Amino acid sequence: MPRLARSEWYDLTRDMNWKLSYVTEEEAWPEDLSNSYGVPAERWWTWDEPYKITYSEYVHNQVNKDTGVYSVNSVVGRSKLFEQLDPGWKAAILAHYGAIAIPEYLASIAEARMGRFGRAAAWRNMATFGTLDETRHGQIQTYFPYGLLAKEPRADWAHKALHTNEWGAIAARHLFDDMFTANDAVSTAIQLTSTFETGFTNLQFLGMAADAMEVGDLEFSALISSIQTDEARHAQQGEPTIKVLVENGRADVAQKLVDHMFWRSWHVFALLTGLSMDYYTPLEHRSHSFKEFMNEWIIKQFMDQFRDFGLEKPWYWEEHFLPELDWYHHALHLGVWYWRPTVWWNPDGGVSAEERDWLEEKYPGWNDTFGKHWDVISDNVRRGKPELTLPETFPMVCNMCQIPVVTPAGYNAGHLASPAPFLLDYQGRRYSFCSEPCRWIFEQNPARFQGHLSIVDQFLAGKIQPPTMEGALAYMGLSPEEMGQDAVNYAWAFTTRPAAAVAS
Amino acid sequence: MAPFPVQGVVEGDFVVLLVAVDDEDPMSVVAEKIAYHAVNRRVAAREGSPRVRHNGKELAPDETVVTAGVAPLDVLEVSYA
Repeated sequence: MPRLARSEWYDLTRDMNWKLSYVTEEEAWPEDLSNSYGVPAERWWTWDEPYKITYSEYVHNQVNKDTGVYSVNSVVGRSKLFEQLDPGWKAAILAHYGAIAIPEYLASIAEARMGRFGRAAAWRNMATFGTLDETRHGQIQTYFPYGLLAKEPRADWAHKALHTNEWGAIAARHLFDDMFTANDAVSTAIQLTSTFETGFTNLQFLGMAADAMEVGDLEFSALISSIQTDEARHAQQGEPTIKVLVENGRADVAQKLVDHMFWRSWHVFALLTGLSMDYYTPLEHRSHSFKEFMNEWIIKQFMDQFRDFGLEKPWYWEEHFLPELDWYHHALHLGVWYWRPTVWWNPDGGVSAEERDWLEEKYPGWNDTFGKHWDVISDNVRRGKPELTLPETFPMVCNMCQIPVVTPAGYNAGHLASPAPFLLDYQGRRYSFCSEPCRWIFEQNPARFQGHLSIVDQFLAGKIQPPTMEGALAYMGLSPEEMGQDAVNYAWAFTTRPAAAVAS
Repeated sequence: MAPFPVQGVVEGDFVVLLVAVDDEDPMSVVAEKIAYHAVNRRVAAREGSPRVRHNGKELAPDETVVTAGVAPLDVLEVSYA
């Protein structure tokens, strides 16, 4: 039987749009689940995906992908490869699994919501494939670390992290709830697929895949490369959604959704990917600095997108975002390392003499702004005073991104006018923010965010008992065996040059 | 006497700290309580007595949290200048 070419039947079979007569538009697409932003229903029917695929093609492709990546998993699982990996790299992949694996499952909810409440049949079709993609990503990124349990018990946090009150997990959960589990279909298409996936997961999944190959972690490289091939397809739901909004006079909506989620994504990725690339990846295997990756994979990508869609750069681009590339993740690294008992991986200080030279080369001025803190820390390590390298109180946490407030580092680096946090007194409660954009996001929609208690708010409200560091660690679900320790037993501290030599 | 949470920033440090002081603590004590979590830990030891600034104004060492009008979670900056 002759087969028609796909182009001869694809449009007909995917376009299942019709005018409703038995129910109203609002009943079929409630605003909470699918905000049209005032664009009439039939205008959405022009939505056209740039990447077309049929179900049989999809299944054929996915089977091949799974066959390839599970084969690598099977072979590597019988080898000693994991044991031979650098301790810093192990920190990078354990941090990744805990922060990403369960959110992938959650992303399948987002895709399923678009699969039902997307405003065009073509979109719902594509989102159905996206639902299957994200289910696969959740499964594969919990299965691979499951295979590591006999070698690394902390791999359990791939499944556990998002079910705890660990502060980094709260930050991830707050972001992903805002971005997709508690978002409407139209906003999800722009914030999850267009803002987060086309930009930031490119960095995490392609940048980290490149580093993984350099390090020799074939399994992790194969895993995240395989995932990214799906992301590259379903991430394209954002572009036609923005196009419909722009063509119908709602570029303002698209702009605000992008501005909001670009900033939030940046902060979480600075925490996750920034530390991995500039401190945890072994020096000899770093292909680029985090800033160089950001410039190549994120900034160029978004600049092209803004131009192509007729959108503007976010208002904070020059004044806040670009300057943060030089200091923000360095401050987070210092904080994660100092508060290391509060994370599920073993952070590598990553500041040996050679690594400091590399940091100074990639980030001129690093020694003056951050090296001086590591001088004090290294000195305490060498003097046998480890208690001075461990926390006895908490950092303030941003009421938007839920990440510690490191404004003093930005002030020290010459990028902020004051070391103080950005405050907002709203309806009888004080909110503290790490940045002007985080405060701006809150002010755009206070009702969405004002009820949330950060981990510091919960501590002050008496929800953490006993109200001590030990009580907080238990509240975060961290047993003594799971609390982070320095990945290399402070080896870097014994190679660090004295401050005077660094300065000269 | 009651525990009183403030946001502490020590000159030269990189992070804003949650610090529990007492509402009757004089600023000389408040400064030491905040500095304890940063000096000799991430900030090199400094000469002299630490001082406290609140809303851009330096507070006298004998002013207490209450008499200085500090509110919960206000920002107190500690410096050695």
